[in-house]
Amino acid sequence: MHDTKPVFPFTAIVGQDRMKKSLILNVVNRRIGGVLIRGEKGTAKSTAVRGLAAILPDIEVVEGCPFSCDPDNPDMLCPACAERLGNEGLLPRARRRIKVADLPVGATEDRVLGTLDLERAIKKGERRFEPGILASAHRGVLYVDEVNLLEDHIVDVLLDAAAMGVNTVEREGVSFCHGAEFTLIGTMNPEEGELRPQLLDRFGLCVEVAGSMDLAERMEVVARQAAFEEDPHAFMHRWQAEDRALCARILTARNLLPDISLSEDMLRLVAEIAIGMNVDGHRADIVMMKAAKALAALDGRSAVERRDVGEAAEMALPHRMRRKPFEKIGLDRTRMERLIEGAA
Amino acid sequence: MSVGVRHAARPIYPFSAIVGQRAMKRALLANAVCPSINGVLVRGQKGTAKSTAVRGLAAILPDIEVVAGCPFNCLPSGPLCPRCKALADKGAVLGPVRRRTRVLDLPLGATEDRVTGCLDLEAAVRDGVKALQPGILASAHRGVLYVDEVNLLSDHLVDAILDAAAMGLNTIEREGVSFVHASRFILVGTMNPEEGELRPQLLDRFGLCVEVGAPDEPRARCEVLRRRESFDADPRGFLDHWADRQEALARRVERARRDLGRTRLSEAMDRLCVELCLEALAAGLRADIAVRKTARALAALDGKSEVEEAQVREAAHMALAHRARQAPPRPESEPERDREHEPPEDRDPPRDPERPEEDRHSQGGHGRRPDQDQDPRPPDADQDRPSQGPGQGMESVFAAGEPFRVKPLDLKRDRRPRTGSGKRTRSRVRQKTGRYVKSRVSARPTDLALDATLRAAAPHQAARDKNGLAVNVEDQDLRQRIREKRLGHLIVFAVDASGSMGAGRRMVASKGAVLSLLLDAYQKRDKVALVAFRGDQGQVLLPPTGSIDLALKRLEELPTGGKTPLSHGLASAFEVLDTQLRRDPDVLPLLVLVSDGRANVSMGGGKPLAEALRMAEDIRADGRIQSLVVDVERPGLISLGLAKRMSASLGARYFKIDDLRARDLAVAVAEALA
Repeated sequence: MHDTKPVFPFTAIVGQDRMKKSLILNVVNRRIGGVLIRGEKGTAKSTAVRGLAAILPDIEVVEGCPFSCDPDNPDMLCPACAERLGNEGLLPRARRRIKVADLPVGATEDRVLGTLDLERAIKKGERRFEPGILASAHRGVLYVDEVNLLEDHIVDVLLDAAAMGVNTVEREGVSFCHGAEFTLIGTMNPEEGELRPQLLDRFGLCVEVAGSMDLAERMEVVARQAAFEEDPHAFMHRWQAEDRALCARILTARNLLPDISLSEDMLRLVAEIAIGMNVDGHRADIVMMKAAKALAALDGRSAVERRDVGEAAEMALPHRMRRKPFEKIGLDRTRMERLIEGAA
Repeated sequence: MSVGVRHAARPIYPFSAIVGQRAMKRALLANAVCPSINGVLVRGQKGTAKSTAVRGLAAILPDIEVVAGCPFNCLPSGPLCPRCKALADKGAVLGPVRRRTRVLDLPLGATEDRVTGCLDLEAAVRDGVKALQPGILASAHRGVLYVDEVNLLSDHLVDAILDAAAMGLNTIEREGVSFVHASRFILVGTMNPEEGELRPQLLDRFGLCVEVGAPDEPRARCEVLRRRESFDADPRGFLDHWADRQEALARRVERARRDLGRTRLSEAMDRLCVELCLEALAAGLRADIAVRKTARALAALDGKSEVEEAQVREAAHMALAHRARQAPPRPESEPERDREHEPPEDRDPPRDPERPEEDRHSQGGHGRRPDQDQDPRPPDADQDRPSQGPGQGMESVFAAGEPFRVKPLDLKRDRRPRTGSGKRTRSRVRQKTGRYVKSRVSARPTDLALDATLRAAAPHQAARDKNGLAVNVEDQDLRQRIREKRLGHLIVFAVDASGSMGAGRRMVASKGAVLSLLLDAYQKRDKVALVAFRGDQGQVLLPPTGSIDLALKRLEELPTGGKTPLSHGLASAFEVLDTQLRRDPDVLPLLVLVSDGRANVSMGGGKPLAEALRMAEDIRADGRIQSLVVDVERPGLISLGLAKRMSASLGARYFKIDDLRARDLAVAVAEALA
């Protein structure tokens, strides 16, 4: 599990429990659909994302495939792998880390989607597809720092891919289509402008982060950062046991997940919260249900409890509330508590 | 052609397992029965199974018969595409094959060459042949063309689709390729109106239009959750479980298609169709045709041999919603729909402030609020003389009035693309942003369209010296990318915050007006800045920002007090706009002056009002900045008309606060008060 570049250990991040939880939930169940992390700069957002990816178990890919095809999922092979499978009957396997693909704010559309392979076109006169960022994010994490500053047309194509789990490219003479299932993680500082509702809705969960106001905690943050910078590998080694324990817990939860039961009462509670809190569409309900199950699984329980639904709602709803213009993004807590208790 | 994962390989949520959403499902099915209805536009909130339904439709569409290997999906019995025709003329047997009807995605990031088709680069380089690489319009023939978020589609692509849809043909004349092929498809679009409306021409192109929403009923929502979870847990098992119902539905569609020709439309029902169209004042004959066809398709689907009133009404609801100029025939009309009936933004709404109807309402409204007129201060006859009214020198913070919906402001702000031509002053960096949609010939391209350049060069390769490369590009081949970018306005609000604004609730009303314009700006994703003038200075309270929330906060905190330095305010606002324009010449600048036009402090020591008017003329002469004056002069008193003069000098659009209100809202309020 050692990479060349040292990564700050996930478990060594001080505080920020809600953010860490939201990330872990997405790892337990990828279908929760990502997290939007809202808050000021310097709150370990990016560190947490990279740290978590680093401790996750490797994935199996078709060796050498730029689209990270899953050799065990014949439905979703890229054309080259499909042909290879047809010709050779089996695909060479390789294991690699979960990737965190960065989408920089200034990225151009052709870099995001992929484009015509320049070299091939000029040297051979062939029309080949050169994969973009969405291809490298497949089966991993797509991390968009300052997602609210992304240009509108990039957001549009991102929405397209995020919605379908497939990147369809019809541009520059190239027609291509490949899997693009990724966990979308975005960060933003709300003071610099809000996100479009359509994009907001694509994020499964939404959490707020803020720098700690606790003196001891702040000192601890600084001390750990210093220790990491001084000798990254020693620092990583010191936290290895905790990182491994977390990884084990995540894997256990993943295994438990299919058997977590959600009673009729709890199902109804989810629906009633969604109706009572006046959210658009069904995505809030679906995410709440999935997050509640993941929470129960992380806790090692076999059934979803009221508190799971409550905790899930706090992360699944804030960005989906139909709000009056200029109303702050957030939850009416008293109203939600009433809903949770009222349905008891 | 390289083609990747086709969606057919992936398990798709079955159409018949979608909970509720009857109107949407019926509209899609009607099209499946009768493709010439010409498609559906599905409007609704995010997360309401819009895309799921469209993708699911493919599975229940009847198979079609095509010429084997024909990229244009020719019907074996003809008419044939040029390629098949040539084959047939040579005596070849056109082997018919049956295959599924396709649902083709048109991604938002598509470029025009892929939509219409273009020169086949490989064939040109390899064999020196000018052949067509068929585009999406070819693959979509006899199938479904699906555009998710259709309201965000680039105008160039919309035009390409509309051209084909209107003729049922796609004509290609580019890069030395000349080709015509049939392109008839069911156009299905989905959109979330929160993201902006659709161009009227495109709107009318959709045969039907339905609204979707999530049910507010726990039982239905629980069922949605249950099915979704079991699909996610085991997609194949879920498909098996629904296989019978899918099969039954597919058979029903196929039978309805067969029966369609025999489904009778009686004279009485025919008359009802016409009546409903007339009642809705539907524009154009397309509405009439769509209602009839849909009614028959629905009847066939319901297994009726004759169209009944229920189907006519259902059809009218779907076919007239987006075409009606009055309320659609059903009483429960969705509020969002009203936006479609507003005049398109590039058309001039009447700008005359003396519109009889609205003026009557606004004055009526004020008449009922006597507190507004109870300011004991006499009007300042000479505003150049510092007035001594109460409130001056003291500061107070007024709350903002209730926001209202702002009517379209006629600012050409409708996402108008500013494309490459004639914008020399833009830097390279600016030119390389935005969505690449098509290309044009250019002797010295700053943003090379590589694909188009290569296609242009390809046919000449046989005659050129290639130095070991496959393609030798010469100057005449060079192509420039045409990019399209949606631009928001930068709106700078210059707000009079002097002491006199405190009188008669004027600051409350002003803040209300600014708030409403901010709301409008928020929906259109404009940038805003806020300048206030009072005492002896204009102050930039908020530099240009995308955060409307911040603007609101500053507005709420804005205190009122002191004299009225109108020139200072104009100067500060101009400076903000000028700085931004230097930084980004693409910005569409708008100055909104909220004032009664009075001025009693000058910058240079001359007459304050004259100075302000001169400055206004300078801003107008500058020519880059559109402006808008919101007159907040107290009603009911002797009108000085100063803001109107200011507006004339600025060349601005002039509004009284109440004229800003969207018409329907003003009417509704008046009715409520009556």
